Amino acid sequence: MTATATALPAAPATPAPVPPAADAKPILQLVGVRKTFGSFAAVDGIDLDIREGEFLTLVGPSGSGKTTLLRMLAGMEAPSEGVLSLRGVRINDTPSSERPTCLVFQSLALFPHMTVGANIEFPLKAKGVAAGARKERALALLDLVRLPRSYYGKNVMQCSGGERQRVAIARALSHDPEILFFDEPLSALDYKLRKVMEKELKDLHRASGKTFVYITHSLEEAMVMSDRIGVMQAGRLVQVGAPEEIYSRPATRFVAEFMGEVNVIEARRAGGVWRAEGIGELKLIPPPELEGADAVAVVVRPEFLRFVDGDADNRLTGEVFNEYALGSRIQYQVRAGAKTYLLELSRAKAWRGEPGQAATIGWDARDAIVAPLA
Amino acid sequence: MEQSVRRANFLVWAWTLFVLVVVYLPIACGALAGLSKSRYFGFPVAAWSTDWWTRAMASIEVKTIVETSLAVAGVVTLVSVVVAFFGALAFARYDWKGRRLYQKLVLLPIFFPQPVLGLALLLWFNAVGVQPSWTTAIFAHLVWIVPVVTLVIAIRVYGFDPALEEAAADLGASRLFILREVTLPILWPGVWSGALFAFLLSWGNFPLSLYTTGADSTVPEWLYAKMVAGYTPMVPAIGTMSTLAAASVLLVGGAIALLLRRRAALNAAPAEG
Amino acid sequence: MRSSAAAGTEASAAAPRKPFRLSRGALAALPVGVTLALGFLAPLATVAAYAFATPKTFDVFRSFTFANFAAVFDPSNTVWTSFVWSIGLAAATAALLAVIAYPIAWGLTRVFGRYAGFVSVLFVFPLFVSENVRLYGWTLFFLKNGVLDGTLKLIGLSGPEVLYTPGMILFGMLYVYLPFMLFPMTLGLAMVPRDLVEAARDLGASRLMIWREVELPLAMPGILIGLLLTFVLAVGAVAESKVLGGQSVIVITHDIEIAFTFAQNWPLGSALALLLTAIVSALSLVALSKLDLDRILGRR
Repeated sequence: MTATATALPAAPATPAPVPPAADAKPILQLVGVRKTFGSFAAVDGIDLDIREGEFLTLVGPSGSGKTTLLRMLAGMEAPSEGVLSLRGVRINDTPSSERPTCLVFQSLALFPHMTVGANIEFPLKAKGVAAGARKERALALLDLVRLPRSYYGKNVMQCSGGERQRVAIARALSHDPEILFFDEPLSALDYKLRKVMEKELKDLHRASGKTFVYITHSLEEAMVMSDRIGVMQAGRLVQVGAPEEIYSRPATRFVAEFMGEVNVIEARRAGGVWRAEGIGELKLIPPPELEGADAVAVVVRPEFLRFVDGDADNRLTGEVFNEYALGSRIQYQVRAGAKTYLLELSRAKAWRGEPGQAATIGWDARDAIVAPLA
Repeated sequence: MEQSVRRANFLVWAWTLFVLVVVYLPIACGALAGLSKSRYFGFPVAAWSTDWWTRAMASIEVKTIVETSLAVAGVVTLVSVVVAFFGALAFARYDWKGRRLYQKLVLLPIFFPQPVLGLALLLWFNAVGVQPSWTTAIFAHLVWIVPVVTLVIAIRVYGFDPALEEAAADLGASRLFILREVTLPILWPGVWSGALFAFLLSWGNFPLSLYTTGADSTVPEWLYAKMVAGYTPMVPAIGTMSTLAAASVLLVGGAIALLLRRRAALNAAPAEG
Repeated sequence: MRSSAAAGTEASAAAPRKPFRLSRGALAALPVGVTLALGFLAPLATVAAYAFATPKTFDVFRSFTFANFAAVFDPSNTVWTSFVWSIGLAAATAALLAVIAYPIAWGLTRVFGRYAGFVSVLFVFPLFVSENVRLYGWTLFFLKNGVLDGTLKLIGLSGPEVLYTPGMILFGMLYVYLPFMLFPMTLGLAMVPRDLVEAARDLGASRLMIWREVELPLAMPGILIGLLLTFVLAVGAVAESKVLGGQSVIVITHDIEIAFTFAQNWPLGSALALLLTAIVSALSLVALSKLDLDRILGRR
């Protein structure tokens, strides 16, 4: 048990006005961390500095190793290789009970035989805090997670999904950890409630001043809440950066495609000229690191593809064969040769033609992202 | 369609009730025989009497065998619940290398004819030089009852989310604290039914006791000896008493379980006034 | 597999090697393991040892002979009829119980609803009354001037003389081993998701087709356990033939018991017991190796 964990948690700290700067000292540091199960590497060499006070989200498809990574950070798995350190102290073999961290499980793992109050008081009871002080603290935490105080004596199994969520977070906070881990805790909630909880988590992060590490497979969720996002693929971190950076400058084609529906065009350079199959000559602006490449993936988001009359760096002609209304926006599918392109326009700029008609579409070079082909 | 479903359900109910009547018919016959006055059973019963019941109650011999049965069942219950509790965790909770093999080993004694097991135990006791008595019968019962209780508790353990223990440890609780506050309270219903099974199965066991009690005798064993030679209506009378005793234990045990659940639900109800 | 042992073997040079110790699972399994090693495996090993000892002696571990098996397989010896009776009765018991228990198991999972728990208890309870007491109740029922005969006499008929016949032994086995078929079967039927049955009906399958193509295959693990359990228990049963059969048939366990008691020929009894054990274990091990116990017992 650490010294910080034995002290009674203080009231929520004053809001941290700005997200931690890039030079903030790391609270948790991972160097070459690997986790293998037999011959399979679930986590395959990760280097990462988690900054004190930040909201870091790890995103990736299922099987990308994010849960295994989180369980190692929380102390429920030991790394097979590499070093995990907390403020410079190696904690590879420190059990979860002795780390100043706390995990909010995907299943929430609320104790079904206890009331809401008993669940929240559990870590305090384990520390031997007196009953009166425990209750006082539990009630304060109920306020913090915006649950009525009358819920103190309620059976936890009688709470709704969103309420259980709040109880789980309150329980984690009552342990007063320095870092909170979240393993997709919102995945069981319906869309509307999830949106509400995302914003509340963000507020709670500000109000508590603690470090939050969150994993999810939904980039949308990550975008709303995080100071930084790490994208995982097959046990590796492929890109870590601010949400804006991930969105506008994806490091790989995988990251770009993970960001949502995108058009990916493979381009090859021959004799100094970029060409793509079915389009012909392409105008594109490769980033410095791809200056020397001879094959790249050109990623064009649907909102940057448009119907053109004349002015566009790149153009192609195809048949408009589908139209989907998405509320304020409209999507079109355009078939050109073997490839289908996706366009998205605001309703105000809707295309005036009929499905089945031919149309010319295009984009400007500065609106496309050039990523490595792999 | 609706009507054919109703007819099928009716047939299922009717068949089940018929089988239940058949199941309890011989027990009822025993009760009749124990209450009839004449030494040899005849139906319809000509004259009723509670004579055989009073005689059975007064008999010192009967008192001894009941005490033996109770002692065996009591010890078997205590030991098997403790052993099987951990056995069930190994069966259903922990992932460990030998788990699959262990699961099969646990089932083998259940999938084994008890009279043969009893005889094998008799040989084994003889080979290691142990004189059979009611204490060896305890051991014999354990061989069969521990696996049964392990299964009963394991079914409850399967429904137990391992994340709960992980979460408790993550929140700073020690192993003992987790066992006391999380694992045991949640598994308690399974442990309780395991204890009931252990006691009642030991109380009613005949084939294992027959070969392993030596000079001592349990109730089913004693009844068998009298059935073979020396029948009096005391035999069905004591058989009925034994059945009623088992039924009472089951009822009281079930009632306690229900009461505990009610109280837990009451505790969990909103505390506001 | 996420045992600490697996992580330990691949620990990098930075991590100190942990000393060998039992995993938590193995530690928890230890008491049960010791009980079964001393109370199940060791006795069976003793039986095996006795089976190769000189006939009619107690020279276990000091002699080795096949004489006992030669005696069992000697054509002049009629012990094989006991084997045939036991196996035949057990096979009939398992097959008939499957038919008897199926509607009840189906009712417990689909029809009885909130009464299912109570009906289950009613079927469990007889397990707590020793089988000889229950079987003796049947002799009182079928006895001359017993409950059946006495009732029929009231209307001028007389009861059938069924006591002390092989059919009565079979009846006794069906009676005693019913719960051992019913409960595995119920577990098996509970494994059939209701959605699947409804989907099959929605797709136009007839009742028979739903039963044959969906319900039966999915419930099969439970049914197999029931068949196996009732067979192995019935093949070693002895009380039924003693109480209800009146020695009209000598079952194999009775032969074993005679060898151990009146005949004082432990080696011969052991050889018979070993043969019976071989049959039972072979069946159990083959069947158990094919079953996923975690799934049947409901691991999530």
